[in-house]
Amino acid sequence: MDETVAEFIKRTILKIPMTEMMTILKAWDFLPENQLQTVNFRQRKESLVQDLVLLCESKRASLRDAALLDIICEDVDLFDMERFKSSFEKILRRALKNVTVSFRDAEENAVWIRIAWGTQYRKPNQYKPVYVVYYSQTPYAFTSFCHLKSNTPLLSQALTVASNHHKIVKMDLRSRYLDSLKAIVFKQYNQKFETHNSTMPLQETLELDMHMDSRIIHENKIEKERVQRVTQETFGDYPQPRLEFAQYKLETKFRSDFHGGILAERKEPLRCLIKFSSPHLLEALKSLAPAGIADAPLSPLLTCIPNKGMNYFKIRDK
Amino acid sequence: MDPYDTPESTPRHGASSRLKGYFIGATPLRKRLESVRKQASFVPTPPRRKIPQCSQLQEDNDPQKFAFLLHKQWTLYSLTPLYKFSYTNLKEYSRLLSAFIAAEKQKGLAVEVGEDFNIKVTFSTLLGMKGTQRDPEAFLVQILSKSQLPSENRGQKVLWTGWFCCVFGDSLLETVPEDFTCVPLFLANGAETNTAIVGTWFQETFDCHFSSLAINAFNLSWMAAMWTACKMDQYMATTEFLWSVPCSPQSLDISYAIHPEDAKALWDSVHKTPGEVTQEEVDLFMDCLYSHFHRHFKIHLSATRLVRVSTSVASAHTDGKIKILCHKYLIGILAYLTELAIFQID
Repeated sequence: MDETVAEFIKRTILKIPMTEMMTILKAWDFLPENQLQTVNFRQRKESLVQDLVLLCESKRASLRDAALLDIICEDVDLFDMERFKSSFEKILRRALKNVTVSFRDAEENAVWIRIAWGTQYRKPNQYKPVYVVYYSQTPYAFTSFCHLKSNTPLLSQALTVASNHHKIVKMDLRSRYLDSLKAIVFKQYNQKFETHNSTMPLQETLELDMHMDSRIIHENKIEKERVQRVTQETFGDYPQPRLEFAQYKLETKFRSDFHGGILAERKEPLRCLIKFSSPHLLEALKSLAPAGIADAPLSPLLTCIPNKGMNYFKIRDK
Repeated sequence: MDPYDTPESTPRHGASSRLKGYFIGATPLRKRLESVRKQASFVPTPPRRKIPQCSQLQEDNDPQKFAFLLHKQWTLYSLTPLYKFSYTNLKEYSRLLSAFIAAEKQKGLAVEVGEDFNIKVTFSTLLGMKGTQRDPEAFLVQILSKSQLPSENRGQKVLWTGWFCCVFGDSLLETVPEDFTCVPLFLANGAETNTAIVGTWFQETFDCHFSSLAINAFNLSWMAAMWTACKMDQYMATTEFLWSVPCSPQSLDISYAIHPEDAKALWDSVHKTPGEVTQEEVDLFMDCLYSHFHRHFKIHLSATRLVRVSTSVASAHTDGKIKILCHKYLIGILAYLTELAIFQID
């Protein structure tokens, strides 16, 4: 075997993580099963690689075989759904004897997972399952509310390890509508196309009303138009993703231009918890400025919700 | 805030300031309305109230006595004076109401599945639940069920509770002739059907009339300020406000919870007159909360509807529901509610 080929094979195999070694070698199908079994996979990686390269040499691996190995490595880097599922289930079962795990493949490289939790002594409770939807081509997973909070670390671990990531972070984003969450994190809600004529239809509508009865004057027409325009710029023309609430934990000092003196000496901030709830929060917020209940533009604390993919916030004085 | 606005004309905090602007242009009319109102016998909401203190009468009593009234949600009603009600006939009333309830239930008007008809009604006085000696004694009515099962001990389960009281009801007591007993405030806990049956019996027996007692935003703000002003050794609950925003097509609720110590600090900074709460102080207190909120969210809470306030002392909902959390200020809370009830009767 050529020196360069041997070196190439050695470097390629070195890049393979130990957890995938067997899978890849089997997929490569160059070294037969019985030969692989003679190799000690528990030794240090450098020694293992040396043994494998020797085997390749004895079988006279060509550049073509080496290139094939390289392709397979790349391919396995891409997601293997079956491997994810078996790995996920294995991790749960290793920790918890009584657990029911089911999978259903869905569209767009998504897999729905249903987990019924039990305990060491009790069978899984089928009436309180947790659902997880994992989009394999993205670093996002969505989980339903878990009654047994103690199982959350285990679930997180199973997801992280099985999907080959090294860390999982809980986002401050919750909603009853999976599609809305998807729209927000995958940034699919913004269907707006930039046009210079976006303000024209609005003006036309007002014009029409005026022609119907010239005795009716729209008071504050300019301000109302400004509010409409600003609202449209902030929220866009498209339907908003559906969220039910947003929560803000505020720890900010009381400051007011009109109430000078109130709490002036107090160094501590006011500790507040503000919660907005609505069947369709973003649509409701969008209607506030036009209704005169809020200023336009609305506070960025509210308008940033879809952009930041958050609906739980902690705000402190800078 | 115009103190002469009747609660009915100010259902929304924001609406009242708009009405005010409207009247400025019609000064002569307004002056005439004011003089007519002054001649009428009703009591306008005062611009100042005393901060609830532990009343002398109550301090003599064992706090445990009224413990069963705390931490329950009570639905409020105002009640016109009772004709020929006597505190010596309470046993008789128990018997009559008991029979009435049994008859109503057998008529099938209010059948609750699984409920056994073995019920008992008790009337008892609640001594000490009054403001002055002039106030009539408060009394309690309870519907209890007697357990049929031999396995359960012969304990009785309380199905429904209602109590009648009058705390600092002088303005009503002065106007009412002798045969009448004034207990304008009625609080009920339990199934609505039972409240309706008991109400019907009282109306038929004592020629009185019950009305639901709603609490508007104006009074909720007062309650929030007064209860925040109360001295508390320990805070059991966070101070919380709930607003309902009239936007369409979707409704929006805004809940604003503030740490009770911070609410107290804000109140102390606003409060100037010792022992009393004034209209200006209530307005300023609420204004500060609105302003803090507006600074962050650019939303005018004053343009929305205050629906619920909750403090460590008590919580109240605009639909006329109240929960008393602290026995120390029970009398103060009842005094305010009595005032609202009397106002509604007039």
